[in-house]
Amino acid sequence: MELFDNILYDTVYHSTPIILCVLGGIFAYKANVLNIALEGMMLSGAFVSILVTYLTGSIPIAVLAALLTTILWGAVFSVLGITGKGNVIVIGLGINLIVPAIADFVLKRMELANISLQNVSVSRMKINIPFFQDIPIIGPIVSGHPPITYLTFLGIAFFTILMYRTKFGVYVRVVGENEDSAISLGIRTNFYKYAAVMIGSVCCALAGINLSLERMSMFTNNMTAGRGFIAIAAIYCGQGRPVTSVLYAILFGIARSLSVNLSVYAGPAAGLFDMIPYIIMVTVLAVVSYMKYKNVKVRGFKLE
Amino acid sequence: MKQNKKLITAVINSVLPVILAFILGGLIILAIGENPFETYGILIQKSLFTVKGFMNTLHYAAPLFLTGLAIAVTFKANVYNMGVEGQMLLGGFFAGIAGAYLPAMNSVLMKFICFAAAMIFGMVFALIPAVLKAKCNVNEMVVTLMLNYAVLKLLEYLTTGVFRDTSAGYVATPTIRDGAMFRRFGSSRLTMFFVITILILIVMYLIMNKSKLGYEITAIGKNPEFAEAVGMRVSKKIITLMLISGALSGLAGAGWMMSDQFKYTLGFSTNPGLGWDGMLIALLGGHSPIGVLIAAIFYAALKTGSDSINMYTSVPKEIVSIIQGLIILFLAVRFINNNTQLFDRFKKVKKEEA
Repeated sequence: MELFDNILYDTVYHSTPIILCVLGGIFAYKANVLNIALEGMMLSGAFVSILVTYLTGSIPIAVLAALLTTILWGAVFSVLGITGKGNVIVIGLGINLIVPAIADFVLKRMELANISLQNVSVSRMKINIPFFQDIPIIGPIVSGHPPITYLTFLGIAFFTILMYRTKFGVYVRVVGENEDSAISLGIRTNFYKYAAVMIGSVCCALAGINLSLERMSMFTNNMTAGRGFIAIAAIYCGQGRPVTSVLYAILFGIARSLSVNLSVYAGPAAGLFDMIPYIIMVTVLAVVSYMKYKNVKVRGFKLE
Repeated sequence: MKQNKKLITAVINSVLPVILAFILGGLIILAIGENPFETYGILIQKSLFTVKGFMNTLHYAAPLFLTGLAIAVTFKANVYNMGVEGQMLLGGFFAGIAGAYLPAMNSVLMKFICFAAAMIFGMVFALIPAVLKAKCNVNEMVVTLMLNYAVLKLLEYLTTGVFRDTSAGYVATPTIRDGAMFRRFGSSRLTMFFVITILILIVMYLIMNKSKLGYEITAIGKNPEFAEAVGMRVSKKIITLMLISGALSGLAGAGWMMSDQFKYTLGFSTNPGLGWDGMLIALLGGHSPIGVLIAAIFYAALKTGSDSINMYTSVPKEIVSIIQGLIILFLAVRFINNNTQLFDRFKKVKKEEA
C-alpha cells in the first residue's frame, strides 16, 4: 500500500514541472512561434532561484530574480526571433545550450560542483491539507506538495479560460492561424507573439523553481534532464489544447514515477518504463495525423 | 559575379556572428578580471598553431564534421532531423558491440562490419520519422526529439543490464578488439578515421553540388509545394534524405567509438553531445560540405583550446561553451540576406562618384 501511495505522490511530483512547461508552451505554439527554449528557461529559473537564495538567504528575492532573468531570456528569444525574424528553432537551441554553459561557468568560478542549501528545509515548504491527507488514495495526490504544485493545477483552469474565453486568447490563436488576416484586422501581431513567449518564460521559471528550490533545495547542472523537450512533445500530441496536452504531461509523470518506484524490484529494466511515454506519443502523433490526412486525395506536399 | 556575391554574403553571415560572440565573450572575461586577448591567444595558439594541437583538433573535428553534414543535408531541404544525437549514439553503441563480440578477424573487414552495423542502425532510427513524415505528415522534429530520449534510455538499459562489462569498475560495455581500433598517428590522437571523413566529404560534395538529388534538395528546401508541382516526389526524397542523414550520423558514432572511446559509457557523447554540436556546425557552415568541414575544424579547435585555457589561465573553460551558445543565437538571425543588397548600394555610390 505504501508503494502505491508513493507512486501516486511521485506522479504528481514528476508531472508538475512538465505541466508548467506545457502551459507555458501552448500559447507560443498557438501563436505559431515554436518555443523550444523551454528547457533552457526552466534551467535558468532553477539556477537563479538557488543561486540567489544561496547568496542572500531570502526566498522571495530569489523567486523574483528567477522570474526576471527568465523573462530576460524570453525577451532575447522574442527580439531575435520575432523582431529579428530569425529561425526560432535555432534560437531555442542556442538558449538551451547557453544557459547550462553560464550555470557551469558561474559554478566553476565559485568553485562549487553544485549548490545545496543547508538552511532551507524542504519539508517546511510542503503544505499538508488537514482533512484530506488521511484519506487513503486521495491523500498522497492532494496533500503534502509544495506551493507551486498547487499553483500549477489551478493554472490549468486559468490558462484554459485565458485561451478560450478571453479576447487575448482568441487574438493569440488568430495570429498563429493566419497572420496576414490578423494584420488586416489591425491586430498588433508582434505584441501577441511577445506576450505568448513571455507567458512561456514565466511558467518555465516557476517550473525551474519548483524543481530546484522547492523540492530539493539544491542545484546540479542539467537537472532539468530533457523535461522541456518532453513538454514540447506533449504540446504537439495535444495540438496545443491545454487539457489534452496536460494529460500527456501527466502520462510522463506516471511513467517516471513507475520507473523510480519499481527500480527496487526490476533493477535496470525499470528504466525501460521511461521509454513507454515516448513510444505512446509517437504512435498517437502518427495515428492522429493519419486520420487527418486519410481523406486528402489531392497529390501534393505541404510543410506545416 | 552573382556567384561571387552569394559566396561573400554567406561568408559574412557566418563570420559576423562568430566575431560578435567573441566580443561578448571577451567582455565576460574582462568582467571577471582577466585579459581576453591573452585567453583567446592561448585558445587559438594551442589548438591551431602547434603540430600536435592541430592534429588533435583534426581528430575531434572528424565526428563533428559527420554529424554536421548529417544535419546540413536535411536542413538544406527544410527537414529538421533533430535525431542526429540519437542516431549517432545508436551507431556508436552497435559499432562497439560488433567490435567487442565479433570473433577476431582481418582488421579492415572488422572495421567495415562495425561501420556497416552503425550505418544500418542509424538508418533504421531515421526511417521511423521519415516514413511518418512522408506518409502521415507527422512533424519530424517532434518525433526525432522524442526518439532521441527513447534511444538514450534504451542504450542506458542495455549498457547497465545486458552488455555490461562486469570487470570494469563503472558502467560500460566491453572494450572493442584491437582489430576494430584505429591506430593513432605518432603522439597525436589523429587516426585514419579523419582520412575516411575526407573521402565522405568528396562524395557528399559531388552529391550535393553535382547530382540530380542535390538539385532536388535545394529545390525542396526553397519551396516544397513547387517542387512537388514540377514533378519531384517530395515524400520519397525526404525518406532518402533522412536515410543519408541517419547513415552519416551512425558513421560519426562508429568513428568516435573506434578512434577515441573504444567502449560505450553513459558519457559516450560528451556534453552537450556530438549531435547537438553538429547542429551548430551545420548552421555555421552554411549547409555546404566544405563550409561544414571548416566549421567543424573551427569548433574542434575551440574544444581542444578550451582545455588549454583551463591549464594556463584562471578563466573557467566553460567560457567556450558560452561563446558557442552565443554563436548559435547570432547565427539564427541573418544579418545580411540576398535582398538587403548591401554591396549593390556601395557600388551605386561608387558609380555615381565616378
